[in-house]
Amino acid sequence: MKNYIITVLFGLLACTINAQDYYVYVAAESEDEVSLIKFDGKEAISIKDIPVGVWPAEIEGPHGLTVSPDGKHWFLTLAHGNPFGTIYKFSTETNQVVGQTTLGLFPASMQISTATGLLYCVNFNLHGDMVPSTVSVVDPETMTELKRITTGAMPHGSRISPDGMRHYSVAMMSGELFEIDALNLNIKRVLTLDEPEMKMDHSKMDHSKKEEPMDHSKMDHSKMDHSKKEASMDHSKMGHAGMKHSKVKPTWVIPHPEWNKVYVAGNGANEVLEVDLESWSVSNKFATGKGPYNVEITPDGKKMVVTYKSEGATGIWDLESGKELAKIKNTRKVSHGIAIAPDNKYAFISVEGIGGEPGTVDVLDLESLTKVASVNIGKQAGGIAFWKIEP
Amino acid sequence: MKQMIKGFSWVLLLCSLHVIQAQEAQIKVDPEKLVVEVDGTVTIKAVVVDADGKVMPDRVIRYFGRRALTVDSLGNITAHEPGLHQVIVISPDGEGDFLRKDVDVEVKFPPLAKIEIKEIPQKVYAGSTIPLTIQIYDEKGFKREDVKAKLMAAKSHIVGFDPYYNLTALETGTTQVTASIEGIETSFSVDVVPNPVVKLELKSDKSEARTGDVFHFEVKAYDKKGKVLADAPLHYSFEGKSYDVSSTASGVIKQDGRFVADEPGLYAVAVSSGPHVTRMSVNVIPRDVSREIELVGKGLVSDKHTSDLWIWEGIDGKDYAVTGTWGADGTAYFWDVTNPASITKVDSIQVDARTVNDVKVSEDGKICILSREGASNRKNGIVILDVSNPRDVQIISTFTENLTGGVHNLFIYQQHVYALSDGQKYYIISIEDPKNPSIVSKVELETPGHAIHDVWVEDGIAYSSNWSDGVQMVDVGNGIAGGSTTNPVQFASYKYPSGAHHATFPFTSPSTGKFYAVMGDEIFPHGLNMNGPNIAGGFLHFVDFTDLDNPDEVARFQVPGAGSHNYWIDGETLYVAFYNGGVRVVDISGELMGDLYKQGREMAFIMPSDPEAYIPNSPFTWGAQLHKGHIFYSDWNSGLWAAKMNPPAPPETKVETD
Repeated sequence: MKNYIITVLFGLLACTINAQDYYVYVAAESEDEVSLIKFDGKEAISIKDIPVGVWPAEIEGPHGLTVSPDGKHWFLTLAHGNPFGTIYKFSTETNQVVGQTTLGLFPASMQISTATGLLYCVNFNLHGDMVPSTVSVVDPETMTELKRITTGAMPHGSRISPDGMRHYSVAMMSGELFEIDALNLNIKRVLTLDEPEMKMDHSKMDHSKKEEPMDHSKMDHSKMDHSKKEASMDHSKMGHAGMKHSKVKPTWVIPHPEWNKVYVAGNGANEVLEVDLESWSVSNKFATGKGPYNVEITPDGKKMVVTYKSEGATGIWDLESGKELAKIKNTRKVSHGIAIAPDNKYAFISVEGIGGEPGTVDVLDLESLTKVASVNIGKQAGGIAFWKIEP
Repeated sequence: MKQMIKGFSWVLLLCSLHVIQAQEAQIKVDPEKLVVEVDGTVTIKAVVVDADGKVMPDRVIRYFGRRALTVDSLGNITAHEPGLHQVIVISPDGEGDFLRKDVDVEVKFPPLAKIEIKEIPQKVYAGSTIPLTIQIYDEKGFKREDVKAKLMAAKSHIVGFDPYYNLTALETGTTQVTASIEGIETSFSVDVVPNPVVKLELKSDKSEARTGDVFHFEVKAYDKKGKVLADAPLHYSFEGKSYDVSSTASGVIKQDGRFVADEPGLYAVAVSSGPHVTRMSVNVIPRDVSREIELVGKGLVSDKHTSDLWIWEGIDGKDYAVTGTWGADGTAYFWDVTNPASITKVDSIQVDARTVNDVKVSEDGKICILSREGASNRKNGIVILDVSNPRDVQIISTFTENLTGGVHNLFIYQQHVYALSDGQKYYIISIEDPKNPSIVSKVELETPGHAIHDVWVEDGIAYSSNWSDGVQMVDVGNGIAGGSTTNPVQFASYKYPSGAHHATFPFTSPSTGKFYAVMGDEIFPHGLNMNGPNIAGGFLHFVDFTDLDNPDEVARFQVPGAGSHNYWIDGETLYVAFYNGGVRVVDISGELMGDLYKQGREMAFIMPSDPEAYIPNSPFTWGAQLHKGHIFYSDWNSGLWAAKMNPPAPPETKVETD
């Protein structure tokens, strides 16, 4: 009998432990809608669709999402405005707007630092000329923009170091990684992610001497890109002086929760770059699927999840071994954002879809390395943020 | 087990103590209350103290100012605007948490500096009332709207005042008038002279007119010698009685003598000068422009929302339409509308977009342009199509340069595309070689937070609708301001207070020669339900631009319970989509003044409604266009429609009634 009771109790306990509900917010960028998704370990459903925006006849592009550390509020960036975008603060209790402020052009991803309480949001600005844009620092209590820090062209990915004292973002077009002091609100370091191009000063070469023929075998042609013909374009008439078009095209950066490293999605290079924060240099590269876009790391620091935007798949990597454990096909063609549950068990992937297709959230089991659930939401699912686990 | 519980309790206790201690550490500021003047500086000193009140010297402190304040790392605060503001003090604890204190800073309003009274009257006729314009400034030069001056006359029997700065001349004499507030004052002298007017003569250009027709009154004031007085103070007013006992006479009178009536009735227009009044009665009869409108045909779109339309004569001499789609899959449809009773879908094209909001076709009927929003690759831009054969539409090129933020509206004119960019500006793009479009210029305002919703080009003038910045007229080849496509030159503008301006249609009145900009609102006061019926708001503003430097908003067309969207003018008839109010056909002949809807200028209306529509039986009309005598209109919920106005019934026709 005793054994029976113990067995039943353990069974009940196990059920209790397993019966957890996971909640994530997901933005549908071409639907002007945010959905609250509930996943019970088996099935994912949208329990609330929240219309957002102020100009009903226009697509305002809800793009970035984050949840405050205390879970009481969620924040949403609306990319398109007149012309500046806006950040909205919603109550997680009512899903009603409780505050807002105007940011820069196309505000995108963001995060709140637990060490300063401030919110850091990149102004992606993909309109027009590729000029340096900014990171907005916002007081989320009063919804006041405190400062705009100029970084690079098309900044994206906005993540905070585990100690909350440093902010990282990458500039997609200028190919730079920025480290911002989260308290003093200034740039501490900039790392160029593209490899330096070979520059030869022909004016000083003496071509008259022919005794020493050139040894072409020592030239590294592997780093030369002959496929592109930009050099034949006359950029001088385009007013692009000083513009740079990164080949790496970094789109995301995420600090490791324990190691002194950050991981950068090299969208144009099909690789994730590991940057050692001590030496402030690229310390490793992971060849990935096509178009790595967002990167997140499990809270235990063991696994890296990467969306491959150009092939509609998500890669799950073991960081210790540097091996891709699985590449999981997503439900639709354009994989976008990632939110990982704090218990390291699941990754929630937003998948955009194309044209009139709905957006989708795929739930990936990070232990079995399989897709275990999917739920359709509005068109162009993008920004995604984990809210809570409830028993 | 006991030991384990004991140990566990200790751990809990220690944790609790740590939490309590951490909770009790706090930021102390000195001084606790900060008061500073605009442009002044004050210093705040913050420290973190532990539970015992002991300063924790290792704690880092940072200060953050809000909009009206700047604060440096030493706590020196500079105030920029008056009011109550906050400085945020933050101190990280080094373990991923932080302390925060918000400190109020009162920035005092600067002392008032001066009172300005504009256009001080030298002399005022006894019995007349003159409005005074009074402005108050503080020491920082800010115009202060939050305070009001007190007006007093040294001799209060000569002039009196109401709370709205109106001065009334009570009797003849001279007196000093003083405006004062908070110890500052300004004075001027008023000379009240006898009103020399002994007689007023009033005449009108007509004694009878229809509702909506504008009367022009002229008055002459004479002194006792029979001399006409040019500077006599005159005031027009009117009263009236509707012929319909269930209605009320109403209208508009301007102080230049123009009068228009909304309701049929007998009206008396009066003009006064001091104690002298004269009046003249005029008869107002019904406008009687109602016509029958008949539904001719429809091309139902039942699986998605429809957006804008364009109708054109193809190069084969047949008539065609293109319609966009909204919040869907980037499809545009092409229709044969040669027989409007049999609208036939002849082709469609799908582009990478969720919304093809706008569609336009070139003057020669060969090129169609589509706007894109919500593209999967976020590049948006425009798509250029060959519609020489609308039954086999081909994509010539796509163009996204500087248009990635989304193109909401566009226009095509003389081998150039005018394309909006992210609701911010518009680019002029040459499509002389449609395979290789190229930007030739851009037009962008410099006002703070400027935005744009639409652009329309006619006779070498681009009319952009810039929300709160109103309409902007830009010479792109007309020559009026020396502009061209490569050198666009802005030369006129007008804005109205609501800031809801979304579209403009230029209109030169054939019967009066007046030039109007018909400026439309777009307002969704109740939001937009994508899966059900909606109610829109807003109306059309008629702005007389005959004098480009002095535009005058003279009239409106507003349908109760519905809101304006896109429209078309042919001759002196307006065809306007009013969303849930369907299509309205409006007589805009003659001089325009006042409330055109109340004047009975609406000739007809028709509501597109179909049980098989995407949203069944729920009219939400997007745009209207007259083509070869038929009114074509697109409806957000149901697709493309055609209607026709029947000719007016002969005047002697008897209408049978029960």
